Amino acid sequence: MEEEKIVGYVTAFLKKKGFTQTEKIFQEEFQHNKSCSSLEADIGNHLLAFSQLETGPARFHDGYSKLRTWTYSSLDLYKHELLRVLYPVFIHCFMDLVAKGHLQEARNFFNTFREDHEMMHLRDLQKLEGVLSPAHLQEMEFAHSLRQSKFNIKICEYSNELLLQHLHSTQSTTILGIINEHINFQVTPGQPSLISDDPEAVTLTGSSQEAANQINQKEIHWGLLEDSLEERLEKSGAFLSDSEKGEGEAKEGENDETKKRSSEGGKQGASAKKVKKDKGGSATGKSAKPEANNIPAAPRVKPELALPVMPTEVEQSILEDLRNRVQLSNVALPSVSFYTFINTHNGLSCSSISHDGSLIAGGFSDSSLKVWDMAQLGQQPASSLLQGENDTSQNEQLLGQGGGKRQYTLFQGHSGPVYAASFSPVGDFILSSSADSTIRLWSTKLNANLVCYKGHNYPVWDVQFSPVGHYFASCSHDRTARIWSMDRIQPLRIMAGHLSDVDCVQWHANCNYIATGSSDKTVRLWDVQSGECVRVFVGHRGMILSLAMSPDGRCMASGDEDGTIMMWDLSSGRCLTPLIGHTSCVWSLGFSSEGSILASGSADCTVKLWDVNSSTKVSRIEEKGGNANRLRSLKTLPTKSTPVYSLRFSRRNLLFAAGALAKSG
Amino acid sequence: MSIVPNETIQVIAESIGINNLSPDVALAVAPDVEYFMRQIMQEAIKCMRHSRRTTLTADDVDAALNLKNVEPIYGFASGGPLRFKRAVGHRDLFYIEDKDVDLNDVIEASLPKAPLDTAITCHWLAIEGVQPAIPENAPVEVISAPADAKKLEQKEDNLPVDIKLPVKHVLSRELQLYFDKVAELTLSESDSVLFKEALVSLATDSGLHPLVPYFTCFIADEVSRGLNNFPLLFALMRVVSSLLQNPHIHIEPYLHQLMPSVVTCLVAKRLGSRLADNHWELRDFTANLVASICKRFGPVYGNLQSRLTKTLLNAFLDPKKAMTQHYGAIQGLGALGPNVVRLLLLPNLETYMRLLEPEMLLEKQKNEMKRHEAWRVYGALLRAAGQCIYDRLKIFPTFPSPPHHTVWKTNAKVLTSARKRKASTEQLEQQPPLKKAAADGESRAVIMNSSPVHKQGEAVIPASSVDDSIIGSSSSAQMKNETTLDVQVRNNRGDTQALNTSAALAQVWKDELNSGRMLVSLFELFGEGILSFIRAPEMYMFL
Repeated sequence: MEEEKIVGYVTAFLKKKGFTQTEKIFQEEFQHNKSCSSLEADIGNHLLAFSQLETGPARFHDGYSKLRTWTYSSLDLYKHELLRVLYPVFIHCFMDLVAKGHLQEARNFFNTFREDHEMMHLRDLQKLEGVLSPAHLQEMEFAHSLRQSKFNIKICEYSNELLLQHLHSTQSTTILGIINEHINFQVTPGQPSLISDDPEAVTLTGSSQEAANQINQKEIHWGLLEDSLEERLEKSGAFLSDSEKGEGEAKEGENDETKKRSSEGGKQGASAKKVKKDKGGSATGKSAKPEANNIPAAPRVKPELALPVMPTEVEQSILEDLRNRVQLSNVALPSVSFYTFINTHNGLSCSSISHDGSLIAGGFSDSSLKVWDMAQLGQQPASSLLQGENDTSQNEQLLGQGGGKRQYTLFQGHSGPVYAASFSPVGDFILSSSADSTIRLWSTKLNANLVCYKGHNYPVWDVQFSPVGHYFASCSHDRTARIWSMDRIQPLRIMAGHLSDVDCVQWHANCNYIATGSSDKTVRLWDVQSGECVRVFVGHRGMILSLAMSPDGRCMASGDEDGTIMMWDLSSGRCLTPLIGHTSCVWSLGFSSEGSILASGSADCTVKLWDVNSSTKVSRIEEKGGNANRLRSLKTLPTKSTPVYSLRFSRRNLLFAAGALAKSG
Repeated sequence: MSIVPNETIQVIAESIGINNLSPDVALAVAPDVEYFMRQIMQEAIKCMRHSRRTTLTADDVDAALNLKNVEPIYGFASGGPLRFKRAVGHRDLFYIEDKDVDLNDVIEASLPKAPLDTAITCHWLAIEGVQPAIPENAPVEVISAPADAKKLEQKEDNLPVDIKLPVKHVLSRELQLYFDKVAELTLSESDSVLFKEALVSLATDSGLHPLVPYFTCFIADEVSRGLNNFPLLFALMRVVSSLLQNPHIHIEPYLHQLMPSVVTCLVAKRLGSRLADNHWELRDFTANLVASICKRFGPVYGNLQSRLTKTLLNAFLDPKKAMTQHYGAIQGLGALGPNVVRLLLLPNLETYMRLLEPEMLLEKQKNEMKRHEAWRVYGALLRAAGQCIYDRLKIFPTFPSPPHHTVWKTNAKVLTSARKRKASTEQLEQQPPLKKAAADGESRAVIMNSSPVHKQGEAVIPASSVDDSIIGSSSSAQMKNETTLDVQVRNNRGDTQALNTSAALAQVWKDELNSGRMLVSLFELFGEGILSFIRAPEMYMFL
């Protein structure tokens, strides 16, 4: 009788500590020799005493506060590394207390030590604060994922030893248990790292760390598409400049430089290059290129999607735009044209600008989508004559409905706030996504709704046309992103993997990948063809609100609700530099057409221009020298009191920005 | 444990018809309520972000409830964030104000205007990286001179000479037209409605910053040229005042250019050529202007106020200056605040009054014009001193006078005044040879009679019309009496103070006494005129 009790205790203890293997073996051994009991009884008593000693809820509090005081009094050299351990221990102590039902103690514990972590983890704390019963732990996704996964902490050898020694010497088995169970130390030899705010020092991934590492090991082909318009333009340009040899030579000098850079870039994404060699098609494409080609960076890749054919006149106009493009750099800043929405009555929830800047769409919380044609605004009377017959009749209809003369085209069809709108590259279609979980396709030529795409189960937060049109991506509160084509009402791919809402989506320049930003504070890159996640970018501290891909396909920028922008290297999956300057949500990001300038629009009523080239260079130096450096902000353009909702560089490098005037005060 | 108290749960349960909810159930439900509330608020924040807003509204909460498949709470829809009011008497109880609406008002009210339709305006936020100074843009902080021009110069000729290139200042065509138009209006049509519009525009438009140097130059030029042109001067001062009001303009760097013209309009000997010109009004206006400048830029410009007061005081103390100049100086000092008056004006009051008095009397000053001016100055002085004493007395009621206290105070006051009177009589009797000017017995008798009357019976005697500067022989005669009396009272005061200190009265008393003394001396100088500046309770206290 007594024996069974003890066995019960032992198994309970093992279960509690998560030693499942040991438990199994123990059970087996127990079955084998039930005979020798006198010794076990002794151990059993010991264990019994031990567990009684340990069960009090106070031990978490004591253990943690001991560890905390020890950490704060440790040597400065190792302090910042040891401090990283505190947060995981803190939240797991809290959750253990809750799980055991000591709610009052859990609340006290949380409030006592909350301040230590508020700066770094405010949002997580806010989420956890509401957990008040064991059932909540099971129910809440965030707590669940914390329980399931392990923290990865980078720590140097010596700090690790110090920590373990301390824990053993003070016999704080509770804390030791937590650390063993939930923290995965990545011990690095040598001195502790100098950068105290290394964003990757403490990471938490949904699955285990190995899986995340594996994900980021996959190759991606971030090169641009073969036979793109830019390339064709350069070819024709080379034709033209044949006569002027001198100029051509100068150009070649430049090319050498760019080639060097490209080889460097190649080294960075070594894995990417390997695969290129394997793939015969792309390799031949590369070798076949003329020497005078100005395109640096990655080898060209083939599209994985069947791309639509562009009408020749559209192609011509794009080529014309490319020829007239203004060259921007850190000394030649762009002109910014600002569209201000007035009298929105707090109802504007998104805006979008077409690629040439002539059309502005605004999505409203009253389910309407309104499109302004800026080319017509200046010349109201003449416009009706210029428009096609079909157009005018439609317009008249609309005017009849509205009563007065309306300056915009009203699209009605949604039954919930319109959260995003996106123009097709040519500007003849608009997509809008709404809280009614549908996406609608509208024609700007016919002023009518063409298709309603139903598939998402929850509000669709964002929708984006691909750079070539026809395909589009959407993302939703249902934690998925989906790829669609215009001609099918079912999605082509569903990307699932984010742990929370997918808030924004963006296409890669070569259309083979999409990036998604989520409320789980990660950005993921997905392969469109396979639907697999190929990169996870960890580092943001708030929900991701905006994404932008550089035109050369190498970098990505993401902005979060705290105003931080992060520049990522796609091939390595690492953050190049955080861009700090905005004080509120970054609603919109945009790269200039040749990729030298990043523009960001924020709720703090400013447009900021950032130097991209210096940032990537700096990061390279940083990699070598190991010194943290910040990307340069070129210019801050404050608006009077208009939060900037959207940004777009036109093909000629004119920057368009839009926002709704907020009443001051 | 949870932030939702059990009582709340019980109240809500009752409101939906569960009357016998046991406390245990409430205790168990409370954590769940908090958990779901937090969850809903988190979803609401997501909806807020996706609506591109940074303020949470009731709509967001509704949308979040919708996401959770819960019926939204009706009745809280609003265009903007809800404004909560704090309940009186409770520290952390808030409510949304719900006004009673009279149906009749609603029925009778005219139809509300249709809300304006959404529209888009377009402007250049930047041209090649530079923000143009247009009203649509936020005001440019500082117009910086091109710095690279100088460097280039030095590189080229390597001379140590620092050549200052003329700063290229680009003024847009629109701004030039604007400036020309405003200048023209100021010069010729300062009465027109258009000019008033222009003043409003000057006071509100952003983007006018590039014009500020031009306006300062224009004002300085025209003031020095047009001292005889009264309407012009007034118009110019109005322009200055509008420019000062404009929140988008940094006028500080140009103050040193503006101030001389403004001060000129305050203390010039003649403003305008005709008799009909109401230059007093201009001086008053300018005095207020000067005071507002001092208030706004005083902290930034260290010596602004000291320089200004020095100028004004010099004008005031110079007996050779015209009465108009004195008037301007007094008005200027008066506008600078009671402290300035107390420190600078009051100590000189007595001597000045001696100068002023003969000018005001019919017998001594035959020139009507001059006499009028003197009375004007007298009025200004009276006002300045009155404001000063008013301010001084305002400080007092720091004791929230409980009744017995006041009684005690008034008693004491009566005591002191009685003592004062006694002392004065004693003094007069004891040392008659010391009195020089007012030694003759006749006047002493008058004084002895008049002083108690004045001290007790002011409330009865209607305040004479000194304010209105109507020349009345009676009041001036009274004036004369009082000034002569002043000399004596001063002596007496010395005594009373000695008495007081010997009586070892508290520090508070001394302070009170100081102002009391000030009041007395002012009263002696101005008569009842000063009393209109004193509030009733204080007056009661001091009489």
